[in-house]
Parts: sequence; structure tokens; C-alpha cells
Amino acid sequence: MKKVLMVALGILTSIGGFLDVGAIATSAEAGAVFGPRLLWAIAFSTLCIVFLVEMAGRLAAVSKHTLADALRERYGWRFFVIPFVCELIVDLLVLGAEIGGVCLALQFVTGVPFRWFAFPVALLVWLFIWVGSFSLVEDATAILGLVTIAFVVAAFRMKPDFHAIAAGFVPSLPTHDAAHYWYIALSIIGAIISPYLIYFYSAGAVEDGWSVKDLKVNRMVAVIGMAFGSLVAMAVLIVAATTLLPAGVAMDRYEQAPLMLARALGLAGFYFFAASLGIACFGACVEVALSVSYLTAQTFGWNWGENLAPKSNARFAAVYTGFLLLAACVTLVASDPLKLTLFTMALTVVMLPVLLLPTIMLMNDKKFLKQHRNGWLSNTMGVVIVVTAIVLSILAIPLQIIGG
Amino acid sequence: MDLLLDVLDQQLVDKNGRKAGKVDGIAIELRDGKPPRVAYLEMGTDVLARRISPRFERWLQKWRKWMAREVEPFHVPWSKVKKVHLTVDADIDAAKEPVYYVEHWLAEHVIGPIPGSEIAHEDKQR
Repeated sequence: MKKVLMVALGILTSIGGFLDVGAIATSAEAGAVFGPRLLWAIAFSTLCIVFLVEMAGRLAAVSKHTLADALRERYGWRFFVIPFVCELIVDLLVLGAEIGGVCLALQFVTGVPFRWFAFPVALLVWLFIWVGSFSLVEDATAILGLVTIAFVVAAFRMKPDFHAIAAGFVPSLPTHDAAHYWYIALSIIGAIISPYLIYFYSAGAVEDGWSVKDLKVNRMVAVIGMAFGSLVAMAVLIVAATTLLPAGVAMDRYEQAPLMLARALGLAGFYFFAASLGIACFGACVEVALSVSYLTAQTFGWNWGENLAPKSNARFAAVYTGFLLLAACVTLVASDPLKLTLFTMALTVVMLPVLLLPTIMLMNDKKFLKQHRNGWLSNTMGVVIVVTAIVLSILAIPLQIIGG
Repeated sequence: MDLLLDVLDQQLVDKNGRKAGKVDGIAIELRDGKPPRVAYLEMGTDVLARRISPRFERWLQKWRKWMAREVEPFHVPWSKVKKVHLTVDADIDAAKEPVYYVEHWLAEHVIGPIPGSEIAHEDKQR
């Protein structure tokens, strides 16, 4: 039973962290413009995030340190301040984009322009964190998140061409719009390898009190949780490829997005789309906001915990409160949530090397991980992840200018 | 014990098991004819600013002066440090020290007045 409960953490992390406004928007755009040809980008980034999440969980279980704690303690303040500030900037934009995602879902249902919802949504997210316990945050989002399975159902109902789908898993060169193709591939990778997800997961593992005997469960959670999120993201891409592409809708405007499920499932599909987008983004909002509080509290060595009364960790509560307020302002001033999302994903990619390289190095540290340091497989993946991150980080800005 | 690796930037924990910030700096006392020794651990934004660049610290202090707010530096005498393992344990009561100034201020003026701020959760053991 305990194991089942622990897998819930993984599923929450995957719904809130994996399937968010970034993953939905980039997958949908990929499908709408290039059909199933970019499936490999989702598969590749899933593999990366599975390894990264497993590492963060292993670090927490073995050393009882969260990633932020361990990074500052091992590399010192003068170094850690750089990834810390980068992460805060990325998180602010990501949170703004996620709030934008919930607002869009509300706009689709009510017809009221999304801006009106920015502050009410931020307030709702805040209320959920304020009164909720950590397990409520985990379980409620995990259960509600199952609505996103609608995409998987729709993908099968559209009877896609399975040969083309299988071919999509093999990276291929684009036949048209090369720059746009690579730009979307890069955005998918930026959307799926979300650093906040790694910090959140490691804080959650410490909050849940994991120990060395939980390492197997950790591995299972990383694989199953991320695979679930990945499956839905792939379904989004396939649904977009079978509905938007033939109709010639290029997803350049966010109003076009609900068309994809409406074509597959009728009017119910329209509501399923709004619900999936709204819930996935709401889960992500909760996770990003908490992740920022965790990161800050751990960086400065404050008392922290979602289960403590807000008054007994006032600084922790003040950080997510203030950050949600700021992020709602970002949503309010952004011209369009879809553009904000794509820009944020590209910026994440620019910052990835700074955020990931120290993590991979730390995973080989004897003091923290003892005999549970990275094996050859994790280190090989670590090198692949860091090299990819560096290459993408260099390409991100030129590609955004040519292909974005 | 390696001061840089095992003490600097580690978590400071007080006698009640409360997290009391990270060890932001270490002050070493030079003595005539005797080996130098650790005088105290220091903590606070000034120390963090100084570690990035002394210029930052000067800016921070100017800004403080302008705001007319004095901040006592927080020092933990080395004699109060009881144990250095995964954390640095000291025989102090953090809640009564200046590291908790912001925490107390926020609890009293910002977070405390909001309804529900005293509700804690007892989660099922996992």
C-alpha cells in the first residue's frame, strides 16, 4: 500500500510537472505543423527527465538532502547563486505561463478574456497551497489529472496511421520549414525537461521521508510517472496531427487549440480539452509555486514544509504568496499565453546547462551518495543530457529568431 | 574536519532541532605566535553579498543606512558548536537570535493575520 501511495507522488509530479502548458502547447503545435514526425523529441526528453528525476530522488533518499541543499553545501554560495537566480527567473515566467494556461481554459468555457482570470486563478492556487497538506496536493492533482486521458482516447478514436507514428520515433530531417522544425523540437525538450520538476521532486522525497530502502520505488516512480505524462503528451501530438494538420490549422493562435479534441470527441471533446488544460496547468501552478518556496528556503537554510502551519514557517509561505502575485502580473501583461509559453520554453533551454551540469556532477559525490553514486548508465545519460543541453542552449536564440 | 567542505554553507541547527540558516561565513582569528583558530560562524545577507563581491556589500550597507535600518550581524561563537556531521549543530536558541527577525516580523505582520495561518497538517506516515 505504501508503495502505491508513493507512486502517487510520481503521478502528481508527472501531471503537474510533466504535462503542463508547455508540453501541451509544444506537442500540439508539433503535431499541427509536422504530423507525427516530432514524436522522437518527446521520447528523447522523456528519457532524459526519467534519469534526472531518478537522480534527484536517489540523492534525497540516500543523503536526506534536497537538491538545492546539496548543491549549495557542495559547491558553495558563490557558485550556487548563479543557478539559483537563473531558476527563479525561469520559474517566474513558467508560473506566469501556467496561470495563463488555466486562464485560457476558463476563457474557452466562459468566453471571458483570459486576463480577467489571472488574479482569481493565482488566488485559487494560493488557497490550495495555504489550506492543503502535502498529500492533498499530491492526491487531488493526481486524481483530477486522470481527465487528461481524454487525449489518449481521442488519439485512438482518430485511427491514426500507426506506421507513420512508429516512424515518428526515429529522428528525421524536416521536409519543409527546417528552422521552425528544429525550433519546435527544442521547445518540446525545454517544456519536458523542466528544472522546477526536479527541485520539487527532491523536496517532496525529503518531505515524505524517503530512505535507502525506497530506492526501488524511486526508480519505479520515475519511470511510471514520467511515462504517464509522456504518453499523454504524445497523444496530444497525435490528436493534433490527425485533426489540425489535415484541416490546415497551424496552431499559431491559441483559440484554435480546442478544435483538436472537438473534432475527435465532439462537443464533449471541447470541454475535455478545457478541463485537461485547466487541470494540468493548475497542478503545474501549485508545483512551481511550491518549488520556488522549497528552493528559496533550502538555499537560505530556513524551516520549510508544506505541512507546517504557514505562521510557523512564515518566510516559506511569504515566498509562494509573493511569487504567485508577481506571476499573475506576468500573465496580465503578456500579449498572449501561447507566445509567453513558447518564449519561456526557449529561455529554459538557454539556462539548462547551468542548472543540469552541477546536478550531474553532484551525483558522483562520495560524501552525499556513498555507494549509491551514478553507475555507468546514469553517467552516460548524464553526459548525453549535458551535451544536448549545451548544444541546445547555444542554438536556442538563433533558432527563436529564424524559426520562432 | 575540513572547514570549507564540512562547515561553510552547511545547515545550522539549533538546540531545539530548528533550522537556523546556512553557515554563510567563518571568521578566523589570527594570534601572535599561536596557530589561528576559528572565532565564530557568521550569517546574514551582508555576508552573502560580500561573498559575491565586496562592492555588493557596500551597496547593501548604503541602502540599509538610507532605509535607516540597522541589522545586527548574527555570530555563533565556535565554542557553541556542538557537532559537525550532516548539519552543524549549535547550542543556541535560534528563535531568539537575529536570524529569526524576518521570520518573526512576517509571522506577526503579514502571514499571521491571514485566516488559517495556524493550521498545520499531520500527514499519514508513508
